[in-house]
Amino acid sequence: MKITETAFHCIMILMLLTTHKGVAQNPDLSAKAIVQKADENMRGKTSMTTIRIKIIRPTWQREMKMKTWTKGDDYSMILLTSPAKEKGIAFLKRMKEVWNWIPAIERTIKLPPSMMSQSWMGTDFTNDDLVKEASSVADYDHKHLGSETIDGNDCYKIEMTPKPTAAIVWEKVIVWIDKQDFLQLKADFYDEDGELVNTMNASDIKILDGRKITSKIEMLPTDKEGNSTVIIYNDIEFDKAISDDFFTTRNMKQLE
Amino acid sequence: MLLKLAWLNIWRNKRRTIITTTSVFFAVLLAVTTRSMTDGVYENMIHNIVGYSSGYLQIHQKGYWDEQSIDNTFEAHEELNQKLLSNPKVTNTIPRLNTFALASHSEKTKGVLVLGIDPIKEKEVNSLDQKISKGTYLTSENENAIVLGEGLAAQLKLSVNDSLVLLGQGYHASSAAAKFKVKGIIKLGSPDLNNNIVYIPLKQAQYMYGAENRLTAISIMTDKNSNLDKLKVSLQKLLDSDGYEVMTWKEMIPEMDQFIEADSTGHFIIIGVLYFLISFGLFGTLLMMIFERKHELGILIAIGMKKRLLALILMLESIMIALIGCLTGVLGGMLVVTWFTKNPIHFTGELKEIYENYGIESIMYFSNSANIFVVQTLIVLVLAILLAFYPGYTVMKLKPVDAINS
Repeated sequence: MKITETAFHCIMILMLLTTHKGVAQNPDLSAKAIVQKADENMRGKTSMTTIRIKIIRPTWQREMKMKTWTKGDDYSMILLTSPAKEKGIAFLKRMKEVWNWIPAIERTIKLPPSMMSQSWMGTDFTNDDLVKEASSVADYDHKHLGSETIDGNDCYKIEMTPKPTAAIVWEKVIVWIDKQDFLQLKADFYDEDGELVNTMNASDIKILDGRKITSKIEMLPTDKEGNSTVIIYNDIEFDKAISDDFFTTRNMKQLE
Repeated sequence: MLLKLAWLNIWRNKRRTIITTTSVFFAVLLAVTTRSMTDGVYENMIHNIVGYSSGYLQIHQKGYWDEQSIDNTFEAHEELNQKLLSNPKVTNTIPRLNTFALASHSEKTKGVLVLGIDPIKEKEVNSLDQKISKGTYLTSENENAIVLGEGLAAQLKLSVNDSLVLLGQGYHASSAAAKFKVKGIIKLGSPDLNNNIVYIPLKQAQYMYGAENRLTAISIMTDKNSNLDKLKVSLQKLLDSDGYEVMTWKEMIPEMDQFIEADSTGHFIIIGVLYFLISFGLFGTLLMMIFERKHELGILIAIGMKKRLLALILMLESIMIALIGCLTGVLGGMLVVTWFTKNPIHFTGELKEIYENYGIESIMYFSNSANIFVVQTLIVLVLAILLAFYPGYTVMKLKPVDAINS
C-alpha cells in the first residue's frame, strides 16, 4: 500500500518534471507568449485582492491598505481602506482613462495622460504601474535574451521594447520570468537615455486562491538609496465574475 | 589759555561765526533727516513685507530651506517656544505651516501658497484682520474656514461663503485634500501674496496635510532696529544646531535686501553731494576769515607769537564752530525726526498707489535710531576738522611783513 503510494508520487513528480522540462526546452515558446503567461498568472480574467503597501524612506515609513479589482486589461479599480484619513479614496481605470475619487473634497478627478508617469500616492510606483494603462503584452515587442538565475530560480530573460504607439515612458524593460511557474521575479526599467531607473523584485511565492503567485513585490528606484515601496498581497481571488458596470465613476464613490 | 583765546576770537566777529555755524547746522540737519527718512522707509518696508511673509527670523527643521517639503517639518512644542521667547530681543513668535496646494473652485484651478496660521497671533503681530476686504477674519486655530488673497479670489471667481477645494501632497506622502468655506477675502499689498495666498487655521492645515502638531517654521518678530545677525547667532546657540536652522529675512528674501542695497547706494550718492556742498561752504567762510584777519595775524607773528600756536588757535576756532553747528544740528534734527516719527507723513494720490502696489503702507516713517545721529554728526565733524587744517597751514606759510602791509 505504502509502496504503491510512494510509487504513485514518484510517477506524478516525474510526469510533472517532464512536462516542465518540455516547456522549458521548447525553443518555439515565444518571448511574447512567456510574458503573456506571466501576466495572466498574476492577473487572471478577473481578480480581487486585498493588499498592503509600505512606503519605505530613509527616515520614515508608512503603510496603506487597499482593495483592488481588475478585469482584463481594460478595467481596474483601487480602493484605499486605511489609514483612516485616506479611507475611501478610489482610483478607476476604464480603457485608457483613469479617474480618482477623493471623498474629502467630493470630487472625481480625471488623471491626464501626463500624470501617468508621476508617483502614485507618494509611492515609488507611477500612476501607470498601478492602473496598468499599458499592457505588458499588447503594448510591447518582446525579445529573448537567454536565461539567468534569480534567487535560485531558472528564469527567461526577456527584453520588452514599447511599441511606438504605446504611451509608455520606458525605453525598455527587461524582465526575468521563472521557467517553472511563469512568474515574473524581476524587472529592470530603463529610461529614454538607457539608464536603469527602477528595479522591481517579486518574491515570497505563495499559493493564494489555488494559484502560485509572488505575494511580495518590491520597487526600488535606482538613484534613491534607501527608498523603496513594498506591495504585499494578503488575499487574492481570481476569475470571480465582475460585471463591467462595476467599473464606473458612480460605483467608485460607493465602494466599501 | 589757548581754548579761551580761540573762544574769545570766534565771538569777536559774531556775524561770521553765526553764518558758519548755521551752514554746519543745516548740513547736519539735512544729513540726519534724509538718512532718517530713507532708513525709516526701508525699515517700514521690511516690517511690512517681512511681517506677512517670513518674519525677521525663522526657525526651520534643518534642511528645510533647501528642500521645502512638508516632510521637512518639525514638531511644535511649548518648550521650544519658551526657549525662543526667553531671548529678550524676541518680541513674538508665530507658528506657521507653509506649503503648496492646488486650489479649485468650479471650473478654475490654480496652484496656491497655503499658510497654516494661528489667527489670533497673526492678528496681534501683523494686524492681519485689518486687511480683510470682504467677509470676516478667522477666529480660532480650529475653525473650518479660510481666508484668501483678493487677487486669487478674483482669478478663481470666488466670493465669501463659496467653498474652495485644496489638493496637495501631505506629510510622509499621504494625500492632502480638503474643502473649506471661504470666510474672508484679504487684500495684501504684495501682488505675489495677493494672487497666491490661502490662509488656513493652523490645526486645520495640520490635519489636512496629515502633519499633526508639526510646523514648517516659527517666525520670529523683533524690534525694527535690532541687529539680526547677532540675534541669529544667539538663537542658534539656544537651539540644537543639528535639529534646527535659523535664517534671517535677508537670507530668505535676498531680492528685497538687494533692492534696498541698490536703492540706498543712490541715496549715498545724494548725501555725498550734500557733504561736498557743505565742505565748500565751510571752506569759503574759513578762507574769508583768513583774508580778513591777515593783517592782525601778521602783527601777532611780528610781536613774537609762535606760528605753531597761532595755527593751533585757528584750528581750535574752526573746530569749535563746527562743534556748535553739529550740536545744534543734532538737536534740530532730533526735533524734526521726533516730530515725524510721531506724525508720519501720509502719502496721497499717485504716490500712495505706487506704494500700495509694492505692498508697502503709503506712510513715510522716520527712523529714530541713535546710530543715524552719531554717524551723520561724526561725518560732518570730521569734515570740519579736516578743513580746519587750511587756516593753520596758511598761518605757517604767512610772511609777517607782507601780511602787515596787505
